[in-house]
Amino acid sequence: MILVVAEQRDGRLNRASWEVVAAAQRLAAKTGGAPIKVALLGGDLAAAAGELSAAAVAEVLTVEQAALEPYTADGFVAALAQLVAGQAPTYVLFPHTYLARDFVPKLAARLDRALVADVVSLAEADGTVAFTRLIFQGKLAADVVLEGEAPYLVTFQAGAFSADLAERGASPAPVSRADVTIDAALIRQKPEAPFREAKQAVDLSQAQRIVAVGRGIRARDQLPLAEALAKALGAELAASRPICDAGWLPIERQVGSSGQTVAPKLYLALGVSGAIQHAVGMKASKTIVAINKDAEAPMFELADYGIVGDLFEVVPALIKELQR
Amino acid sequence: MLSALVLALLVVLFGGLFVVQLSRRLLLVGRAKGTLRTDHVPARVSRFLREVVFQSEVIAGKPAVGLAHALVFWGFVAFVGYSGCQFLKGLGVVDLTGTSSFHYYALALAPFALGVLGGIIFLVIRRVVFRPEALGPLSGESVLIGVFIATLMITFLLDFRLTEGPAAAVNWWLHLIIILVFLALIPGSKHFHLVLSPATVFLKSPVLGEVRNLDFEKEEVGLETLADLEKKQVLDAFTCVECGRCQMNCPAYATGKRLNPKKMILQNEDALLIGRMDAKLVEVYDPGVLWQCTTCGACEQQCPVGVEHLPLILGARRGLVSNGEAPDALGAMYNHLERRGNIWGLISDVRQKFVTSVGLETFDPERHEYLMWLGCAGSYEADFQKALRSLFEILRARQVTFGVLAKERCTGDLAKRTGNEYLFQELATANIADFQAAGVKKILTACPHCLKTLSEDYKPFGFDVEVQHSVVLVSKIAGDLRLPGAEAVALHDPCYLARYAGHTKEPRDLLARAGAVVKEPERSGDNPFCCGAGGGLLFEEHEEGTRISQRRFEQLQATGAGTIVTACPFCSIMLKGAQASANAITQVVDLMTFVDGRIKSAAAAAPPPGARPASLQPVP
Amino acid sequence: MKIAVCIKQVPARDWQPRVNESRTWVRDEDAAFEMNEPDAYALEEGLRLKGRHGGEVVVCSAGPSRVSHVIREALARGADRAIHVESDGAASADAFEVAGALAEAMSGESFDLVLTGLQSDDQGFAQTGVVLAERLGVPHATIIMEVKVDGGALRVKRELEGGWFQWVAMPLPALLTIQSGINQLRYATLKGIMAAKKKDIRKVAASGAHRSRQRIVNLYAPKKTKQTQLIGGTPAEAARELVKRLRDEARAID
Repeated sequence: MILVVAEQRDGRLNRASWEVVAAAQRLAAKTGGAPIKVALLGGDLAAAAGELSAAAVAEVLTVEQAALEPYTADGFVAALAQLVAGQAPTYVLFPHTYLARDFVPKLAARLDRALVADVVSLAEADGTVAFTRLIFQGKLAADVVLEGEAPYLVTFQAGAFSADLAERGASPAPVSRADVTIDAALIRQKPEAPFREAKQAVDLSQAQRIVAVGRGIRARDQLPLAEALAKALGAELAASRPICDAGWLPIERQVGSSGQTVAPKLYLALGVSGAIQHAVGMKASKTIVAINKDAEAPMFELADYGIVGDLFEVVPALIKELQR
Repeated sequence: MLSALVLALLVVLFGGLFVVQLSRRLLLVGRAKGTLRTDHVPARVSRFLREVVFQSEVIAGKPAVGLAHALVFWGFVAFVGYSGCQFLKGLGVVDLTGTSSFHYYALALAPFALGVLGGIIFLVIRRVVFRPEALGPLSGESVLIGVFIATLMITFLLDFRLTEGPAAAVNWWLHLIIILVFLALIPGSKHFHLVLSPATVFLKSPVLGEVRNLDFEKEEVGLETLADLEKKQVLDAFTCVECGRCQMNCPAYATGKRLNPKKMILQNEDALLIGRMDAKLVEVYDPGVLWQCTTCGACEQQCPVGVEHLPLILGARRGLVSNGEAPDALGAMYNHLERRGNIWGLISDVRQKFVTSVGLETFDPERHEYLMWLGCAGSYEADFQKALRSLFEILRARQVTFGVLAKERCTGDLAKRTGNEYLFQELATANIADFQAAGVKKILTACPHCLKTLSEDYKPFGFDVEVQHSVVLVSKIAGDLRLPGAEAVALHDPCYLARYAGHTKEPRDLLARAGAVVKEPERSGDNPFCCGAGGGLLFEEHEEGTRISQRRFEQLQATGAGTIVTACPFCSIMLKGAQASANAITQVVDLMTFVDGRIKSAAAAAPPPGARPASLQPVP
Repeated sequence: MKIAVCIKQVPARDWQPRVNESRTWVRDEDAAFEMNEPDAYALEEGLRLKGRHGGEVVVCSAGPSRVSHVIREALARGADRAIHVESDGAASADAFEVAGALAEAMSGESFDLVLTGLQSDDQGFAQTGVVLAERLGVPHATIIMEVKVDGGALRVKRELEGGWFQWVAMPLPALLTIQSGINQLRYATLKGIMAAKKKDIRKVAASGAHRSRQRIVNLYAPKKTKQTQLIGGTPAEAARELVKRLRDEARAID
């Protein structure tokens, strides 16, 4: 049996959970059609469980306990150790989320069982299932085979399997309660409520998304266009040095080689040439987009995606597209 | 006899005051660390003759003022014999003043006296009436000394007229007493340079900005406290003549920063005399000034008495860096150098892409004459790589063979100049091992900083090969280039090429032959105004006062030329940044790109059939 | 406070790995090695905590003899002493093997706090720290941005997905895995380098009792490599295509 451990927060299912269901279905196909069960842990699981029961799986198990809300590593591991002992799956699958990274290795250590993390696809080796993961900063792919006894724990990289490919069942899967006992006194972590950082001061180094403007913006009164794009993306506004020198934006918004080094998930550079002083300040960004009239701009070398064009035409089109 | 006794007493009194003060200062020199260097004697003697005897630096830096001072100095030297004889007469030892040789001697001194008089009057008027900024607040002592000198000359001249009587006696005594009072004032004033400057000029390193390696075996960490100052640095503190030339030529001072090289030397002097030898240097100087220096070297170059500012500043930087007190931006750069071997922390695939795209071969001593050293900028900076592409085209057209190392690590220039000596020595020894393993005999580079570091700073490790800057080589091999045109360009001489390495002719030659008319900005040639990148300031985004790069850009713009040409990747970065910030239309272009562009446009302007096209092909 | 920082020596980030004959691991004889960058941030955090609360920082590392370079680097930055678990196979081992070996070597000392980086730049399991916590029997928290110690109590700021954060309180002793980039790394000063030569490195042989539970059977270059994708078309078309790729391919927006 393959056990998928889905993830929810405040009753809402994490999209990655569907991806793991898809992965489980693929794995089941490779291992002789084993049945799939999906487990959910937390305080109030009715809505999420109902959503999951639409999947083509054998059963949805809810582990509903007051001690599991809010999430703690100690609580989840205690619950899952019991669940796994009771259900005896061959594989236990998780999405490779921040949450999973916090408790799955501990569960593996508690169970003393193999764990392969951040898997991007399934493979085969020596007649057995192998799990592919990327190592050395993505330069090499490794097919990994797990040793020791079942259960084997696997976490899947976000986006490795498409959530859309998770098969829906003809009829809803049954939802049942799984009982575990958790001694709340043994939970050592005391979490407080999650929060978003208050936007008091500009701290580009913490921004997840950044829209940066360079000389290509041409005039101070064109800044609202960049601001509108930033708003549509939920991004912070940043600038290259000439913009701050001219006083169009305050120095706190300057990205450069000293002071502000940023590493957001998305860096969108509008009319920024990408001179080295600016480049070293943002080269660690995960995804870089460059929009510039000059096809020779060094920024395109750094970018993952580039549009050679007039930003005054491209940006309004982008805003429209994002608001759809 | 009475008068002789009185004179003797006065000599002992004032002479004693002189000796006491002199000893106190010499003791400080004696107690200081290090040794006084006297290697390369011919170079030192030559400098001594030029700068002390012939006053070349004094006059070259400021011609009118310098000449006035030179006259006073030569007069002083000439008068030694005269004053000596007067003292001997007065002390009753021997009277040579009646002899005919003395008489002719005195006559010969008359023009000197007039020269001194004229000179000193000019200088005192300048000091009192015009109050130049370089001299600082008006010093009563300086005026007094000026009056003394004038009086000495007047009393000398009057001596021809006043041969007898009370007036003559008063005149004579005045002359001698002034000399004695002056003598006692010398050690405690800037006139101590009379005694010290011949020595400090001789002891100054023949190499501009030479900062010797730290000896880690001896656990040297740099200059932390006053007690760490070396002997030459203590001498420098006392020899400073307060002329202010270092200050007025300093780009940091000129743009409103607190750094003032003259003030630093005088702060050393004051601190040494107070005697708290455990005082931290960083507290002796104004806060933050140590990090405002671009190491352009103007201060040291312009000093007429041999003060070496750079070893002091770099030494104090070492003291801070050794204790982890480098500014954050530099700390990040050190991590980059350590991990990735370049100042920006970029990954070597970027360099490899460039090397492949221009078809550079791996250096092979059998096939390549030169090792082409790209440097950090050549490996990672897109704009400078365009200049290198132009350079390679020119070199290949001339069949110059060159290859690159498979992997480069930074020469360590910025580590050395900002005081991270350990990192510098690590990089240097590793690079030298690579050069030796590859069999490198000649290095070609387009970066003046790499030039200085590879040619000068690697010598103490025993590495001594020919290192050339590309402008010098190209100017040699393109000797017969004759392109038409008269495009006005403003040439920015890079400090590390023009001042440190002395190459001012080659860029001008090359530009003239490429059909450009060079417009000289204020401060050009071997005393350019720095672009503001050196000494780690490339990484400092927040400058006190005006940006140095902005000031330099304005100076270049003021020539009216539409294009600014330079021959250093860092000057390019700074000036392009200044151009962007000023939203100016003046273009900033590397010299190689400019020359290559002119060659191409001349070739495109189709020549009449039969005529030889203007190109780089050698005339057979 | 007695703080342990576990660091790993990994090949330099720009090293181009080559696969060995059996395709089960890489050939690293020609590689340059460095301290795993996330561990460098953990070390920096440990040194700052020592600066605030006093005590000592002990750096622990498992690996072959070349690991002594990163240990010296950590000592030069300010760690007081080190434990070197000698194990030739540590680089290719899995988290269980390494965490087990480290736990064994660390068991004699009673550390108040153990810090590790989030994950390693080579294998990137992101497990060793958490497994180590379980083996040491201490509570843990991962992806930590800020650490506050007050008396015997610990309060740490965890990073959650989507720009959310959370403070968690835990008793000491505890283990934390530290997020990268949370502080400015100090560089090794000349004085630190000189002092490091005299600091103590305790060498411990790995008992071999802990074995890996996974095995690489095939190692190869993946198909996709990073290339700049230029998107053409009219502004409207390019905008549509860009948003699609950012959403589906790069997953940079939802």
